[in-house]
Amino acid sequence: MIINFKGAKTYIGTGGKSLDVTKMTLCFLHGAGQNHLSFIQQARFFAYKGYSVVVPDMPAHGFSDGNPCKSIKENAEWINDLLVELNIKDVVVIGHSQGCLVALELNRILKSSFEALIFVAGSNEIPVNQFLLELSKENPQKASQMMVTWGHGIDGDMSINKWPGHSHYGEGNNIMCMNKPTALRYDLHSCNDYSDGIDAAKNIKVPALAVLAKNDQMTPLKSGLKFVELIKNCETHTLDCGHFLPSERPMELNSIINSFLLKLK
Amino acid sequence: MSENYKFDTLSLHAGHIPDKETGSRAVPIYQTTSYVFNSTEEAASLYNMEVGGHLYTRISNPTVAALEQRLAALEGGASALACSSGMAAMHLVVSAICSSGDHIVASSKMYGANINLLQHTMPRFGVNTDFVNPNDPEAIKRAIKPNTKLVFGEVIGNPGLDIMDVPEISKICNSKNIPLVLDATFNTPYLMQPFKHGANIIVHSLTKWLGGHGIAIGGAIVNGGNFDWGDKDKFPTISGPHFALGGISFWEEFGPSALIAKIRAEGMYNFGPSLSPTNAFHLMQGIETLPLRMKKHIQNTHSILDFLVNHEMVEWVKHPDLETHPDHEVAKRILPKGSGSIVAFGIKGGREAGKAFIESVQLASHLANVGDAKTLLIHPGSTTHSHLSSEAMKEGGLTDDMIRLSVGLEDINDITKDFERGFRAVKKLNK
Ligand SMILES: Cc1ncc(COP(=O)(O)O)c(C=O)c1O
Repeated sequence: MIINFKGAKTYIGTGGKSLDVTKMTLCFLHGAGQNHLSFIQQARFFAYKGYSVVVPDMPAHGFSDGNPCKSIKENAEWINDLLVELNIKDVVVIGHSQGCLVALELNRILKSSFEALIFVAGSNEIPVNQFLLELSKENPQKASQMMVTWGHGIDGDMSINKWPGHSHYGEGNNIMCMNKPTALRYDLHSCNDYSDGIDAAKNIKVPALAVLAKNDQMTPLKSGLKFVELIKNCETHTLDCGHFLPSERPMELNSIINSFLLKLK
Repeated sequence: MSENYKFDTLSLHAGHIPDKETGSRAVPIYQTTSYVFNSTEEAASLYNMEVGGHLYTRISNPTVAALEQRLAALEGGASALACSSGMAAMHLVVSAICSSGDHIVASSKMYGANINLLQHTMPRFGVNTDFVNPNDPEAIKRAIKPNTKLVFGEVIGNPGLDIMDVPEISKICNSKNIPLVLDATFNTPYLMQPFKHGANIIVHSLTKWLGGHGIAIGGAIVNGGNFDWGDKDKFPTISGPHFALGGISFWEEFGPSALIAKIRAEGMYNFGPSLSPTNAFHLMQGIETLPLRMKKHIQNTHSILDFLVNHEMVEWVKHPDLETHPDHEVAKRILPKGSGSIVAFGIKGGREAGKAFIESVQLASHLANVGDAKTLLIHPGSTTHSHLSSEAMKEGGLTDDMIRLSVGLEDINDITKDFERGFRAVKKLNK
């Protein structure tokens, strides 16, 4: 659905069902330079399971207009305000990559109505190398291509896909190209500059789930495993794939999330 | 990990890695119509297009999917769909995008069935086409109307070998927000990748060079993922609500792969032109050697061009790699590895000479196909167009002395020797 939010056209994927805030809401937060289409195989899946699903395109991403947020904190405030605007109370926040940092920050602001936090290919920090930071300014398209290549495991190289006929690289590049050219640069700087992750992780009071990727070159497994140690009782799984776990291992990821959600009920 | 494999490697590997249970190195032929569901929930999630997977072979099949993913990788597209023939692919694209009242701009110099579909069949369903010269980008621009939903042409036209200036034409389409759909059968991704030049959708007859061995009919659509279907009034079939799946908007939920999702959910469901898994396997075997074959096709074509251009019995030779071809400059720019292995030439002595030549060669096969590993010939004047007068043929851009040659991979000396046999027969006739 499209709403006017903070004066800008804002797109929110709802998994093909209309939004019903009386149900438990799953709010998916996309990663750097991504948009709602990172969760193609999660949005409909959970909406059809009876959850209320909200997959916003952050400002300047996907179908949303507006100026890109310039820090993780700004992203978290934007999401917080959006949840208030939509009158969403019981929410499970599911972040992928940068979305995990945003979820950590959001946890500080939105304490009362959080049901749980789910981190997909996440960590408490996402340092970005200088080369990629510069390239994202000079040639965002090239930077996107590099991220898509680094981000996928062998399935990307070999054009293996659970969705018949789809290519991780071809689809991934074009998803990133849908964003405004400045979006990636601000995202990568936001990730690189974020330094409150350790505190934020230690402060998590709600049930937490982390699904990490064995061959993650963007948020390496080592960093993810250190991160989950900071969280009290974080249920942790590792899947054999790259960073783009939602499209590389959709069924396994959905099944882990689904079991976790059932335990919450 | 993150190797970004090159074309030759992708031709062999893309779309398949050996599974852990069997270790089968070759892509297995999943000769099955249907797939056992693990649970009712899984079945429902496949039906609702919540996640990817296989339901029924008319919609998708693991062997066919390996082929599709190989094609997507070779073209650099977001997704691909393989189907029963090149013509099925063409019809699937047109019917997915256009509805009654819509308009198409197409090249006037294309394969007969492509022309017939747009000129005679689609108007019965309210979709009309204006045909324009493919090598005149300005004419294409002028033909675009407010209800134009796509621009279509063949990168290398069959049989006239006109070359479309893809970068120029894609700029025009882009500025008008209309997808450029190209039949890339004659170039294959080895000679040219249309998405790199701004095209949006590719249609292939896999029957030809991609399969390469003349053993299986097949077609494919590759979706560049680089077109914005967001205008709901203009592209309601892609971005508006679908009649099933809870009124899904393919554009909103599948983004770059919206067109392929639409075709799978409607075209494959309701028309059903599926590719058999066994044919998908045969076509993939062909693709494994595409780079090697295309190199040799081009090498032999250039040798044959030398031979024909210098032959006393040959009136004229047409191929875009010859300086005499009107589109030679465009060909050099967009097809630097060569402009394919179809050659047209005229034999001194007109229709009778053409007939005598065809009937006297023995290595080259006289048949109605192109892109086989074997050398193929046809003389339209005595076969497909034998009912037409010389004048009528001229109106269609053909001459009665014309031979269409699809250059194969045989030893070049054997091909030229075979042709000499044909020319000797013509000489006898002319005496
Ligand atoms: C350029 C071109 N496109 C499409 C087709 C149709 O292909 P198929 O026979 O696989 O339907 C052909 C067949 O000759 C062709 O030459």
